[in-house]
Amino acid sequence: MELTTCKNQDVRKRVYEAIEKAKRLQPILNAVVSFAQDIEEQLAHLEQIDTSAPLYGIPVVLKDNVNTKGLLTSASSRILSNYIPVYDACIVEKLKAAGAIIIAKSSMDELGMGGTNLSAYTGPVHNPYDTSRISGGSSGGSAVLTAADVTPLAIGTDTGDSVRKPAAYNGVVGMKPTYGRISRYGIIPYASSLDHVGYFTTSVADAALALHVLAGRDDRDMTSSTKEVPAYEQLLNSDIKGKRIAIIDNVQKAIKDESIRTGFDQLMMRLKQRGAIVESITLNEQLLAVILPTYYIIANAEATANHSNLDGIRFGVREDGNSVEDVMSHSRTAGFSANIRKRFVVGSYSLFVENQDKLFRKAQKVRRLLVEELARVLDQYDITIASAAGSIAPHPQDSVDEQLSDTYLIAENHMILGNFSGYPSISVPCGFVEGMPVGVNLMAKPFAEQTLFDIALAIEEESGLRGQVAEVTK
Amino acid sequence: MNYETVIGIEIHCELKTKTKMFSGAPVSFGALANSCVNEIDLGHPGTLPCVNKEAVRLAIMAASALHCEIDPLVMFDRKNYYYSDLPKGFQITQQFHPIGSGGYVDIEVDQLQKRIHLERMHMEEDTAKQFHNEEGTLIDFNRAGTPLVEIVSKADMRSGKEAAAYVEKLRSILYYLGVSDVKMEEGSMRCDVNISLREAGTSAYGVKTEIKNLNSIANVQKAVEFEVQRQSAILDQGGVIIQETRRYDEALKETVSMRKKEGDVDYKYFPEPNIPPIRLDAAWIEEIAANLPELPDARKARYQKEYALSEYDAGVLVANRELAQFFDALCKYTKEYKAAANWTIVELNAVLNKENKTLAELSCEPKHLAAMIEMVKAGEISSKQAKSVFEEILRGKDPKQVVAEKGMKQMSDTGALLAIIQAVLDQNPQSIIDFKNGKDRAVGFLVGQVMKASKGTANPALSNQLIKQELAKR
Amino acid sequence: METMDQAYFNKLAKQLMFELSDAEIADLQAEFVILQKQIALLEAIDTDGVTEMIYPFAQETTFLREDQVDHVIAREDALSNASAVLAGHIHVPKVVK
Repeated sequence: MELTTCKNQDVRKRVYEAIEKAKRLQPILNAVVSFAQDIEEQLAHLEQIDTSAPLYGIPVVLKDNVNTKGLLTSASSRILSNYIPVYDACIVEKLKAAGAIIIAKSSMDELGMGGTNLSAYTGPVHNPYDTSRISGGSSGGSAVLTAADVTPLAIGTDTGDSVRKPAAYNGVVGMKPTYGRISRYGIIPYASSLDHVGYFTTSVADAALALHVLAGRDDRDMTSSTKEVPAYEQLLNSDIKGKRIAIIDNVQKAIKDESIRTGFDQLMMRLKQRGAIVESITLNEQLLAVILPTYYIIANAEATANHSNLDGIRFGVREDGNSVEDVMSHSRTAGFSANIRKRFVVGSYSLFVENQDKLFRKAQKVRRLLVEELARVLDQYDITIASAAGSIAPHPQDSVDEQLSDTYLIAENHMILGNFSGYPSISVPCGFVEGMPVGVNLMAKPFAEQTLFDIALAIEEESGLRGQVAEVTK
Repeated sequence: MNYETVIGIEIHCELKTKTKMFSGAPVSFGALANSCVNEIDLGHPGTLPCVNKEAVRLAIMAASALHCEIDPLVMFDRKNYYYSDLPKGFQITQQFHPIGSGGYVDIEVDQLQKRIHLERMHMEEDTAKQFHNEEGTLIDFNRAGTPLVEIVSKADMRSGKEAAAYVEKLRSILYYLGVSDVKMEEGSMRCDVNISLREAGTSAYGVKTEIKNLNSIANVQKAVEFEVQRQSAILDQGGVIIQETRRYDEALKETVSMRKKEGDVDYKYFPEPNIPPIRLDAAWIEEIAANLPELPDARKARYQKEYALSEYDAGVLVANRELAQFFDALCKYTKEYKAAANWTIVELNAVLNKENKTLAELSCEPKHLAAMIEMVKAGEISSKQAKSVFEEILRGKDPKQVVAEKGMKQMSDTGALLAIIQAVLDQNPQSIIDFKNGKDRAVGFLVGQVMKASKGTANPALSNQLIKQELAKR
Repeated sequence: METMDQAYFNKLAKQLMFELSDAEIADLQAEFVILQKQIALLEAIDTDGVTEMIYPFAQETTFLREDQVDHVIAREDALSNASAVLAGHIHVPKVVK
């Protein structure tokens, strides 16, 4: 559903219909962790909001790592399965000030540390186009609820490609702006130097409007940018004549699925016909091959420290023990899944004094080289473009989670460049393969979100997929 | 065997700010438990640190006063460890780029000057306070996040006296700067002493022990002296020193073992990704350094030079900043510096000690006390009268008014005095005989009798002169 | 290079305040074999003269928070998520020093 469509309905009606729909779909999709209990209060609060506010009375879903005062925020982890925040995240304040009604918190990979949404404490989330397939993650619940036409806007977060990958798998727009564009205050972190707030919409225009609402300086987040926030939605312009577009050839070559490749090539043809200059570029293959270990080391190292506060003492599920050390240890053992604990071990290992040069600092150096590689391309081009995923949403048994692997999966990992660099990046649906949605991913220079939106809009016009949602049948 | 003692000291000082190092919650001492916190101090998920400007300013003041080189680029790191008083599971500190490097403190022990060099000074945050009882441990997070500076000396000290002198000197500098309360007994200044012994004349360091929980400067010296005895006794018997943390037990007057150190703990330090490097304005640093309050050494020298005070008097005044400030204020109104120093050090100090009050709690005006000192000098009132006038000054009264009200004016009228003197001489013939026999003491006795007869109002100097004159006539 | 036996991983887990089952350790041992290969790939990349990228942008800030009390939460809120509260404090079994 697009925001404009949504706005044509009565506020109360659309809010309750969205909730009803989410509840009806819950047994099928399992995308919701908890429903807001204060809908009437939120509706009453609307009296203080100008009816022309950009999200006036619009139902919105938040990923369950966005802190909501008084409403369970579990980050889909057992250890936080009783955590009731005492404060609102910055973006919750912004959404409410813009008139949004928060109806539910959506499922995610445990603590954001995954790409399949199979690891949520509340169980896997299912793809609305084929419930036997994964939603992708870590923002799977939000992607699915947008794709299933529950809300026109759902918030996610993106540390590796946790918004942009599930967006592609579920046929919605997934936007991750520049690092620092949206405040992270109140977002339960994964890896602080890679974490971004992102979101899902069913159209590029809605994505542009949403960024206008969410972006802006927040003094509580020292990394947030003081740059002015333009009215992206008013500046939208799909005339891409003369725009320079770089196809990341390494990615396209690595894709095995021919339908995805040809669909992509056809789209590029049409962009050329619109007057864009579309050229293939090749990134340093040796560097691309280490995106995953570089990411894995940095993300897990930061994560192990970020989640050291989860000890069952001040909040979260506390397990018994004879000493405070036992309480902490028992709580953390029972509170995290085995996979999370293993990743903390890897993160911690790479931070040991004797290992830092070889692992953590080495990864940080390689991160710089990778970013420089991307920056070189964007010196010459307005955006890079590539297929957002190498395949349609896989079945759980065929899915590869964020883990180290002998096989090297460039087609699945290139979007992490957007997190390494902090550059803005968007996934846009571009068609269907075997009845499942596929998308393309765009990256632009820092704070060039408008360029991203403009070119994404041209793609949306070409694909005809504006407002595309799934009809959930099963 | 003959050993050389090698001592290095780490001092933690709470900075006197209104709010925490990284949060806008108030800093307080003795407030209701867990009432001066917000979600940041409790390490709740999603919180982010935001650096306190005043804490940085106070740190710059301290670093300047201690002659440190100041790094204009402020950066923070995470020190990772798990403990129930550490909410985030890491402490934000400055491991890699301390705000101050190098520097020194000059001390004096047994009339010998010595320069103690500093390794570094860095900013960090305090932990929560724990109270242990039979049922368990109670945690109060009010202290969590309080700004601290840690000042690390080089291993330049060689005795308990030097260690105590160093701590005392540092305490007085920080106290004069007004950057900290420096109350060791309340924990706003905490001191960890590292001690090792080595054979005199050798240069390799021996195994060190660390002594914690030193709550007074006297205990610093006692603890070091005990530890030197303990370690040399072990070494004399051919034993080895175990690297461990010890505490000073006041009752036993001994250091006792707290815990063994299992090698060096790996704190897995890494740069704090949520705080970007902060560029300090060079002009701001200069302005702070140029406007430091007068430090104790300079003040003492000034008192000796400008006011001709003895080293002892100057030392006593400087040891108490309140008294020194009061003395400075007095000297604006009177040039009777010696008398001003005496009244401040002896009378005023005695009142403060007796009533256990601070100067601020008394209504004593410097200009009143100065006026009284001038009155004594001019012979308008006697020293004895001055003491009762002083009592009233403490209550905020003007001495001129007190003297008028009590009719205390000193008797300087020659005619009236002579009448009393004649009467006294008539009543004390023996004194006259004594005087004639060359016993000068008789004059003193007679002055006393005159004072008594005049109820203390006679001008003693004038009385003395007149008595001698009258004796000569008899 | 450490021997990555069970004891080693148990030690690592202890430092992270949790436990690992034998099966979890076996998984980790397998994963560390892959990790070593990936480290070799990283090592092969010439990073001489490259500085670590800690933040996405090299931009320095000049922002410092003014020292004004701007946010304090109610005591009930401070304690509301704690499993055990005693006399206004968060309560835990005795800390073993």
